[in-house]
Amino acid sequence: MNDIGATRHTLRVTPPQLKELRSLKIAVIHPDDVDGMQLTQQLQRIGCQVQGFWPPVQVLPVGIDIAFIAVRPDTIGLRFEWALHEDAPTVIAVVTYENPTIVDAVLALGAQSVLPSPVRSFGLLTALVLARETHKEKRSLTRRLRKAEAKLLGARHLADAKAVLMTAHDVTETQAYDLIREQAMSKRTTIEEIAATIVHASEVLSLGGKRLS
Amino acid sequence: MADKDPIRIGILYSETGVTSTIGLSQLQGALLGIQEINEAGGIDGREVVAIRYDPQSIPARYAELTERLIVRDGVNVIFGCYMSSSRKAVIPVVEKWNKLLFYPTLYEGFEYSSNVMYTGAAPNQNSVQLAEFMTSNFGARVYLIGSDYIYPYESNRIMGELVQQRQGSEKLAERYMALNATAKDYKEVMADIRNKQPDFIFSTVVGESTAALYRAYADAGFDPKSMPIASLTTSEAEISQMERGMATGHYTSAPYFQSIQSDVNLRCLARLRQRFDGSSVPNLCWEASYFQMHIFANALRQSGDEGIAQLIPHILGSEFDAPQGRIKIDPTNHHTCLYPRIGRVNTEGQFTIVRQATRSVYPDPYMVTHSLGDWTAKLDALDV
Repeated sequence: MNDIGATRHTLRVTPPQLKELRSLKIAVIHPDDVDGMQLTQQLQRIGCQVQGFWPPVQVLPVGIDIAFIAVRPDTIGLRFEWALHEDAPTVIAVVTYENPTIVDAVLALGAQSVLPSPVRSFGLLTALVLARETHKEKRSLTRRLRKAEAKLLGARHLADAKAVLMTAHDVTETQAYDLIREQAMSKRTTIEEIAATIVHASEVLSLGGKRLS
Repeated sequence: MADKDPIRIGILYSETGVTSTIGLSQLQGALLGIQEINEAGGIDGREVVAIRYDPQSIPARYAELTERLIVRDGVNVIFGCYMSSSRKAVIPVVEKWNKLLFYPTLYEGFEYSSNVMYTGAAPNQNSVQLAEFMTSNFGARVYLIGSDYIYPYESNRIMGELVQQRQGSEKLAERYMALNATAKDYKEVMADIRNKQPDFIFSTVVGESTAALYRAYADAGFDPKSMPIASLTTSEAEISQMERGMATGHYTSAPYFQSIQSDVNLRCLARLRQRFDGSSVPNLCWEASYFQMHIFANALRQSGDEGIAQLIPHILGSEFDAPQGRIKIDPTNHHTCLYPRIGRVNTEGQFTIVRQATRSVYPDPYMVTHSLGDWTAKLDALDV
């Protein structure tokens, strides 16, 4: 009994994902039919700022956090460049069919969640919060991955550059590193940058060497 | 001839089980409403006839009986439910058959069904006002205690967040008790309360075990003047189940108290006494159950058709002079504009109203973050 009481003590805290609901800007790219109305009205009840668009738009206003988009047989041929952009809003597809053609179109949009037609008010809030959370996580993972990749490339360049200097100037690895670091300091740039330049220059020179021989 | 056929409606209030005290009062509210409608000539000459079953405070029974009312008895509109679990059991059935449910009970919000009308308070119509009052009069160190189901969980989340907007606030504990908890079960909680010395206790205990909580509090020898219980669910009905004076000095936030001195309320109470021979204990859920019957009848007079599609346009935006004041069904979210009030239990087991709204407060069932100091939540102080 007490154990349950103790674990529950911390349970009732409002997640930040819910606190931001009323500041979200939402685009509803959907015909003005029963589903479109249900969707818009429920979003307004939740307290989101909603803007409707139809026919589908190729450019979204800035600052849209989430886009609901109807995926219908007559619009699956369209490409939405904004949906593929790095800072694209979270996309939630509204579907009337779930045959492979439609599912393919949903995948192509990079949708984070799907809302079946007929649209019901129940379940929308949870879908909204989860889709946004997944999308945010995905975006932050992508950014971290890109940073890690750049870091890795930099490390490889540094190793290569040190090797180049060690052979060309007959120095130790530590001395090679110090040379690179000094250059970076005087040129006010990063070690990785200097390393990349050395590797690049060495490739160009050795190419020239090949031609001479 | 069909024009003279009676109008059959369904009623599902628990007359037995853990929430039967409130259930019975809601039933009486509905029956009083029906009597008034029929005495005034029915609905264009058609008598309103209630078909009622007792779901015994069991959610699964609510679902079965809803199905029976719709399929076997052919009703289009159902009035009923108290605990959220009972409402959640009924909603899929009324949605499946596209029928209408009138739900006359305060609840935790975060719901909208096009097949439901919500006539009880949403949290922005009772919790915010209670938190404002309790923290400014007693302090912000709160001990939360509730029955073990969804309404207390969500109410406690809201209350916890509200008190934390005050300086020196502290959530000392969050405890959940079985729906059939006895005074003995509460004894250990009272020992914990004595240890932690909160400024006030927030209770969302419902049903028959409410009396046990107040009993345990009294047995512990605590003083409501310095550490009162504040509640959303302790109404005149729950107090009537306690020994005399047991709840005196404690507070409740509700849109309706029996002690409202308006003509509409006094006349309504007189008719109720006549109808039920004084056996009735009017409270916030009774009042909602009563006025929603008139909202339905007025809408049906205008639509002339019980079908949900014909009825709803006449319900939305409609107003009624209810015992609490002139209420209005909000057209966008199907909830009701109500008048928040704070009452302190007096020695007669009635509420002395210490704060009340002069204008009705708009329902906002999807409000995640409530704020103290919101002007719409401000209540007028009464000289008492």
